[in-house]
Amino acid sequence: MAWLSNIPATVWEGLRAFLGPLALTMIVGLLLTLGWVQVNALFLVWLERKVAGHIQLRIGPKEVGPFGLLQTLVDGVKLLGKELITPAPVSWPLFVLSPILVFAPVLVSFVVIPFGPGTQIRDLNVGLMLIFAFGGLGVLAILMGGWASNNKYALLGAIRSVAQNVAYEIPLLLSAMSVVIMAGSLSFQAIVQAQEGLWYVFCQPVAALLYLVGATAETNRAPFDIPEAESELVAGFHTEYSGMRFALFFLAEYTNMFIVASVATALFFGGWRGPFWPGPWWFLLKVYLLIFVVIWVRWTFPRLRFDQLMNFAWKYMIPIAVLNLMVTAVVLKIVR
Amino acid sequence: MHRQALTEDTFYLNLGPQHPSTHGVLRLLLRLDGERIVECQPILGYSHRGHEHMAQNRTYLQFMPNPCRMDYLSGLMYNHAYCLALERACGLEVPARAEHLRVICAELNRISSHLLWFGAYLMDLGAFTPFLYAFDDREDILAILGLATGSRLTYSYCRFGGVRDDVGQDFLEGIRAFIPKMRARLKDYDTLVTRNVIFVNRTQGVGVISPELARAHALTGPCLRASGVGYDIRKAEPYGLYPELDFDIPVRAGGDCLDRYLVRVLEIEQSLRIIEQAMARLPGGPVKATGVPQFITPPPGLYHTSYETARGHLGIFLAADGTRVPYRLKFRVPSFGNLGILPKLLPGTLVADTIAILGSMDVVMPEIDR
Amino acid sequence: MNALLNYVREVIGGTWSLATGMGVTMRYMFKPVTTVQYPRQRLPLPAAFRGPIELVRLEGGDHRCVACGECFRTCPSGVIKVQGHKSVAASRNQGRFYFIDFARCSLCGLCVEVCPEGALRFSRDYEQCGLSSLVGVQDLMAKLKEEHP
Repeated sequence: MAWLSNIPATVWEGLRAFLGPLALTMIVGLLLTLGWVQVNALFLVWLERKVAGHIQLRIGPKEVGPFGLLQTLVDGVKLLGKELITPAPVSWPLFVLSPILVFAPVLVSFVVIPFGPGTQIRDLNVGLMLIFAFGGLGVLAILMGGWASNNKYALLGAIRSVAQNVAYEIPLLLSAMSVVIMAGSLSFQAIVQAQEGLWYVFCQPVAALLYLVGATAETNRAPFDIPEAESELVAGFHTEYSGMRFALFFLAEYTNMFIVASVATALFFGGWRGPFWPGPWWFLLKVYLLIFVVIWVRWTFPRLRFDQLMNFAWKYMIPIAVLNLMVTAVVLKIVR
Repeated sequence: MHRQALTEDTFYLNLGPQHPSTHGVLRLLLRLDGERIVECQPILGYSHRGHEHMAQNRTYLQFMPNPCRMDYLSGLMYNHAYCLALERACGLEVPARAEHLRVICAELNRISSHLLWFGAYLMDLGAFTPFLYAFDDREDILAILGLATGSRLTYSYCRFGGVRDDVGQDFLEGIRAFIPKMRARLKDYDTLVTRNVIFVNRTQGVGVISPELARAHALTGPCLRASGVGYDIRKAEPYGLYPELDFDIPVRAGGDCLDRYLVRVLEIEQSLRIIEQAMARLPGGPVKATGVPQFITPPPGLYHTSYETARGHLGIFLAADGTRVPYRLKFRVPSFGNLGILPKLLPGTLVADTIAILGSMDVVMPEIDR
Repeated sequence: MNALLNYVREVIGGTWSLATGMGVTMRYMFKPVTTVQYPRQRLPLPAAFRGPIELVRLEGGDHRCVACGECFRTCPSGVIKVQGHKSVAASRNQGRFYFIDFARCSLCGLCVEVCPEGALRFSRDYEQCGLSSLVGVQDLMAKLKEEHP
């Protein structure tokens, strides 16, 4: 039976020889990422419903599969089967492109997520920059979708989304910068390595909090879900989307949650560090705990108003983030 | 509002009739400059069923189920008001036990109405969870009222000269268990909502109504009392058991959405007080006056009755011509006045504020359209 | 200086209010579920439950209806039709058909209240449905015989 267990290794070696090591990691990484994105979104939607249910004295999904775990899968299948409605007055190239464009950057961001010491598709020396750069693309897609929909609600949602992201990218970057100053690198592996003794959340609590708030706004989640505020704008920028196009927006939102939580884990919570278990387990545990907090926040607070949100960003978050960055720089200069 | 030629920087937005937060079928035609509202016109009439006309075509008893269906959230109070109007017209005496039961049920109904408003308002503001907590409490009330009236929404419990049926021990015990639970919940609501900085920011100073403006637009109920005018029919023109009970009318001076919210939450506490007192002094005896004819016939004349529902001043104007059928039965509903102030209030605010202000008015559209 | 103090107080107060709010939801998360899983569990109906009406069944499958017509004269929606015949054996009128259209009935219960013979009561069946509005038209006499042959 020995030859049987050798098959994966043989196939691996063959492909390696045929494609070259780099292309092979890329392809395998892409396939794994695509699978992971689906599984993660299914799990997160289930988690969100379950947590919301229990917070609200309900039990959430329970009919399909054990503990209702397959409920989201069934919903996904239903969405796949739905007609893709394209209203007549939309400008269709943009309308069709928008869901794809919102999903693609999220997928690319997976390249640099440090799941474990060696479990990373590519360890780029500008990993953090790459994630923020591609995160900024998402808002372009939302603007495209909202504008192309030719719907007033969608347009208002798109406008709000742009204004919100402009305001929130800044504190997000500033809070991440204070970690970068401490670690002295933009590479995720280096940042995680630097947290050998102490997680950065303990020496940078303010930055961690600011990052989490900014990340919640970045992913358009309550209390910052003003671009899709369902009680004001019906469904906001994706009012006109249906079927799988809508599902792509949905998928992007939940994957984005995973990305920002992973970045937060790597920056502030010691990444894959932890006793007993291998790194990826610790990493995933921390990520999902953070996501749980984000879900918990969503089901607790009312939504901010559009102008209050801007006020909050410019009056509170940015000054505090700048102050935090300056204090970090000065302290580091004195200590080193 | 005639659709004028649009200038380059404004556009029209139809908020409703199908919209997540227009509470029934209200349509607001908004003219927007970006997100800022320039002009607003509420358009009504989507759920007109002709209740007043129905009243002219059926006997007084046959009309009994209808008032509950105008304002389905304070159905018992409408029902009480209708019976009160007929009792005043015919000079009927109501037994003491029936009066007590009516007040207990009406106040329970007021709490359930305010709770539903509370949940729906928080949902308008984007917080979904308080909605389900409020519904959990409301479920208790509906179960209790179900024990007495056999129904959960359109109670139709009062009858001319009494109530339909006596209540059992389970009803009284249910209320005794409910009151402390509700008080504990109010504390949680205070922490979760009233003190929440986001909620306060969303509602404070939004949609301010001055006392003069409130009077000019015939605002009544909590909306009026939030503007600093302490006018409540239960004190101004007392009916039923209310003159004998000790309770306060919560008044706030600010006139903004937060004050309208607080007045309603405080009213829940006052209603609990009223229920406690009425329970403590609940007498025995019959629950229905004897000798009420099946085809009740008020003597010819014009009668007017005022009543304080959860939304404000309900006026019932009855023109009787000495037959078994009303000549005219006109309802003056509180929501109409409360909604009518929107065109004055909304210009200059944002779309998000529109929802906050509209929600804080607590309008029930079927009551306006009838 | 005062403004700065206020600013700090605002930030701390706001954060505290959010934290306590999250405490409330966390506490509720571990409270028992209050919903009822409908098709599997049911709420108990109150004794006074006002459901669709039915005829009171007497010993031997009989009923008390004398077709006096009080109910259909009182019915606000006019959905009741009663017809009786002179019964020689009982030396009084006896109901033969009792048609009611539940599709238009508003469950007000006035018919039960005005019935001088106490022949009507509320059933406890709240799960009536059908594919056509005609399903609502039912003969209560026939139903009585069907259920208790």
